[in-house]
Amino acid sequence: MEKIIIWILLGFSLGFAETHLLLNPSLENDCLQCHQNQQIPSNLIYKRYLMQYSTEKAIEKAMFNYLTHPLISNSIMPPQFFLKFPMKEKSMVADEVLKVNIKAYIKHFDVKQYLRIQK
Amino acid sequence: MLFTLASGIFFLFTKHHLLDTQRDTLRYESEIIKSKLRVLHQSNTIPLLYPKHDMIDSMIFDKDKHYIFGTLAKTSWEESQSHPNRLYYMAKVEPYYLGAGYVLTSQMIDYDVITDLKKNIFLFMLGAGIFFSILAYYLGHLFIAPMRDSIKQMNHFIQDTTHELNTPISTILTNIELIETFGKHEANHLELKRIEIASKTLSRIYDDLTYLNLNHQYHRNIITLNMSTFVEERILYFTGMIEAKNLTIRTDIEENIIRQIDKNDAMRLVDNLISNAIKYNKHHGVLEITLTKMSLIVKDTGIGIDEKDLAVILHRFKRANKSEGGFGIGLDIVNQVIQSYGYILKIKSKIDKGTEVEIKWKK
Repeated sequence: MEKIIIWILLGFSLGFAETHLLLNPSLENDCLQCHQNQQIPSNLIYKRYLMQYSTEKAIEKAMFNYLTHPLISNSIMPPQFFLKFPMKEKSMVADEVLKVNIKAYIKHFDVKQYLRIQK
Repeated sequence: MLFTLASGIFFLFTKHHLLDTQRDTLRYESEIIKSKLRVLHQSNTIPLLYPKHDMIDSMIFDKDKHYIFGTLAKTSWEESQSHPNRLYYMAKVEPYYLGAGYVLTSQMIDYDVITDLKKNIFLFMLGAGIFFSILAYYLGHLFIAPMRDSIKQMNHFIQDTTHELNTPISTILTNIELIETFGKHEANHLELKRIEIASKTLSRIYDDLTYLNLNHQYHRNIITLNMSTFVEERILYFTGMIEAKNLTIRTDIEENIIRQIDKNDAMRLVDNLISNAIKYNKHHGVLEITLTKMSLIVKDTGIGIDEKDLAVILHRFKRANKSEGGFGIGLDIVNQVIQSYGYILKIKSKIDKGTEVEIKWKK
């Protein structure tokens, strides 16, 4: 019985740690909070980047370019998207922080972690 | 050598074909995976179930060839295609669903079909080898047979010639010796008769061989020949031999039977028929010679010819019975003469009863 309780507590601790790790505070504050408030589909955006650029480096570069120069032409989303959602203002976050946030964003939505082999 | 080479080439082609067939399976599976990647990419359910095949492994790589996911453990692009016993197929993915730039499918090479192929080729080679050996043996025999027969005939001919010449020469020498020993007087009549017979035999052998040898170059001098007197002359010529064998001769010769024929041909024809009838007759047998406007028939009461030998008796060096001497060229000469003049030869014979040879002058 004691062992079971210990295992359950250990499981909760690890689960919390992982969630905390993925939801980087900077990412949450600088990016996702706003996305959530405006109901911008972050997952969908990431998948469009993934489909367009394939590699992590190319995605990072494209995202950084868009965030520093937020134009429709730099966006991964189609022009119609901006009829519904407002164009992002130029990021005021320092480049280094932005790059860290982009990495965290990619890591957070990375599909690899959800892939499982079909039984 | 050619068969081995052809089989080798066939093996390589078929092996490549079999591998291509297996590679096609991989290509087909790649298309399925690409289709499923698209579905997974659009899916919002978690987890994303990556397709699995019982026989085929697959991996997806991003466009820079970094491993993303797969049914095989994480590996580098190069290592993932380095197993010598596996077959690989790489397909590009575009757009990059789930970030995949490439799908690599792989399966163990199915060596069973290649082993079966080797077995079949080996069996084919074995079968072909046996078949061609038998064929070669058969053809060899077929082509060598005439040569072998010729050599055999030549050997027989030499043996027969030796034997045929030996008998009359011995007879002549022995009888001359007798005359020399006991002196020449009236009682030598028998020895002289023997010498005469032996000399005639030698003469006939010589004539036959010359005729046979020169037949194609021989210039025929066709004359109007009274066959009736001619046949009687030839019977007289053989009187010595007929008496020596105690044969009863019965003749039925129509007078003035005229034929347009070369005399030498007529002599070879009649002499050979009478000679055979004497030679193969029994002692105290009967020799019948009939000459009409229609035909010449020579009949004996000798040993006869087996029915199966009748068809080949006209062939050169063929002797139905080897108990008597001879080359087996007599009837061959007769046959050549009758063919030259368009006569017809008919032979009737019964074993131990005798033989009847008929030459019909006209068809």
